[in-house]
Amino acid sequence: MVSLPALAQSSGKKPNLSGMWQALNSANWELEAHAAEAGPTALGALAAVAPGPSVVVGGEIPYLPAALAKRKTNREQRWTADPEAKCFMPGVPRATYLPYPFQIVQGTDKTMISYEFADTVRLVHMKDPGPAPADSWMGWSVGHWEGDTLVVDVTAQNGDTWLDRSGNYHSDALHVVERYTLRSPDVLMYEATIEDPKVFSKAWTVRMPLYRRLDDGAQLMEFKCIPFTEHFLYDKVGR
Amino acid sequence: MLRTAITTVLICAAGSAAAQPAAPAKPAAKWTMPRLADGHPDFQGVWTNKTITPFDRPKELGNKEFFTADEAKAFVKKTLERNNRDNRTDDVSDVIGAYNAFWWDSGSALLPNMRTSIVVEPRNGQVPPLTAARAAAMAAQAQAVKVRCEKPGCAVSNFGTPAPSDEPQALDLMTRCISFGTVVPMLPTAYNNNYQIVQTEGMVAIDTEMVHQVRRIPTDGKPHLPATVRQWYGDPRGHWEGDTLVVESTNFSGQHFGRMTAADENLKVTERFTLVPPGILTYRFTVDDPTAWTAPWTGEIPLVPIDGMLYEYACHEGNRGMENILSGARKEMQKAGAK
Amino acid sequence: MHRSLFALLLAALIPLSPAAAHHSFAAEFDLNQPVKLRGTVTKVDFMNPHSWIYMSVKKDDGTVEEWAVEGGTANTLFRMGVNKNSLPLGTEIIVDGYRARDGAMRANGRDITLPDGNKLFLGGSAPPQ
Repeated sequence: MVSLPALAQSSGKKPNLSGMWQALNSANWELEAHAAEAGPTALGALAAVAPGPSVVVGGEIPYLPAALAKRKTNREQRWTADPEAKCFMPGVPRATYLPYPFQIVQGTDKTMISYEFADTVRLVHMKDPGPAPADSWMGWSVGHWEGDTLVVDVTAQNGDTWLDRSGNYHSDALHVVERYTLRSPDVLMYEATIEDPKVFSKAWTVRMPLYRRLDDGAQLMEFKCIPFTEHFLYDKVGR
Repeated sequence: MLRTAITTVLICAAGSAAAQPAAPAKPAAKWTMPRLADGHPDFQGVWTNKTITPFDRPKELGNKEFFTADEAKAFVKKTLERNNRDNRTDDVSDVIGAYNAFWWDSGSALLPNMRTSIVVEPRNGQVPPLTAARAAAMAAQAQAVKVRCEKPGCAVSNFGTPAPSDEPQALDLMTRCISFGTVVPMLPTAYNNNYQIVQTEGMVAIDTEMVHQVRRIPTDGKPHLPATVRQWYGDPRGHWEGDTLVVESTNFSGQHFGRMTAADENLKVTERFTLVPPGILTYRFTVDDPTAWTAPWTGEIPLVPIDGMLYEYACHEGNRGMENILSGARKEMQKAGAK
Repeated sequence: MHRSLFALLLAALIPLSPAAAHHSFAAEFDLNQPVKLRGTVTKVDFMNPHSWIYMSVKKDDGTVEEWAVEGGTANTLFRMGVNKNSLPLGTEIIVDGYRARDGAMRANGRDITLPDGNKLFLGGSAPPQ
């Protein structure tokens, strides 16, 4: 069993966020408040959209009016167009609130966040390495501490991920600032402020608790989903 | 000012003084073991195991385990010349091999241990023979591919022989972006042979750049997953023997790649990591799979620290080659069917 | 005269042992369809498993074709200091390669040069600049 993290000491020692964490909400279905909804007919209630409150501070995502049309189209195509369905790495902040756990390994110069889904991983550089050479799926993460809060600045994400399964999306101008603060030994408060001038009229924030996985035998397991998506992605190619 | 340097990079041609260095970044005057607060050695950093040391010992070297300095020099020269020949053959190998040492990231150096092979046990530096049953099973698979490829929809694979290319599941794991190397044990692959180790109390995490594969190795004594749960890269558990990290991996699913293709679900891999001066992470691994090989075998391939970082290698997300390959094969099959 | 070149793409050929490999170019491109393309860069994707250079090729009859040329892993380039700004759009390049097996306007860039003959590939003995 992983050791309990040290909360901030008066000596100024940094909290240790290491361990296995998971969000417990339906943000990955839809960030804004939403009722339950049918999934694909063939799956009955198995893939129904679970209801949930908004995780967006203030309730709604401030889209630019011209950007709403694409969200609508995405949503209409959600069962085929969602990059999560393709086993693509989910980007930040979606990786945090997927319904699967992740492991924080807080090292010296790097904080590794290893996500169960699709072998997703990112290395948060605790010393600024300079700008990203190009865009990537999980972006370029630079972290520093503000008191007991780990602040991570994420740039250089490509524009190809979605923010949830309902078509909320962003462009390659996305800039995310995350804040991780221990509320108690087993609860990590998470905030992510999102800016994208091509899609949103102003910055907005998602906020949620992350819970330490305490079950006996809990560990991240392999979730290598590429073989599960090959028919989905390639059956029609060349035919 | 932008760094728009160039880059006609030198291909470490034989004898050239401008060879890429593969040595540790900065040898310290007096090296001391770096340790974490819990007293265990600190393995954190970015490491590489790229090398031109051969995997198996060249047969002509017999039981000779180490190169002399002169032999090493000659070997390096010969290898680099062979790897960099501009070999325009006008046959299919011209298409297959359209990479040279710029892309193949084997570097230009032998391992710092001056060994003649990565395999160190058996003493002849060769992987032991397959069991009869395993050899027969693999031969049957190869035969099935041969028969399949008498019909259209096959292409010459990167290994030089025809293989089906009309269904993803028929293609190799690399083309499918599922695996580019062995991951466990840590053997070098084509390029980007880099590993990031991040460590905290009770956990050593190794991020293999190809293909963003993290091994999360608990060192807190928790037991393995139940035997009914199998994973591509198994389930690792670590413990410290003094300053050596010993990792045992079990629960393999039987899908392996590259040098480990013959392995099956009975595989067990034991690895030993020890930091030695001037900051090299010695790495010794034993492969034990009694239904695949007639004996266990052991290799050594030290990890050398590098200045630099891992970059994201998102493969599946950008796998346009898969669509292109399938498209080509299926169109050919349609044409053949229409005849 | 040296401009700011960058070592970008596929280079000369080598037969390498199968242990070091990647996806088969022979399954994607056709030995029997060699191509030589001259055009200007319209887009560059530094990505994995292969970078792509997109180019506009003006044919002798005046028509313009849009081609995609496949290169190597972006990570190798990043380690050399190449980044997304390194290959200016509009750069004229000449590509020697093989066309896609399915006949599309795609090629693997076996050799890529600039019009002045400078090579955009690794293969010479010129020292690093």
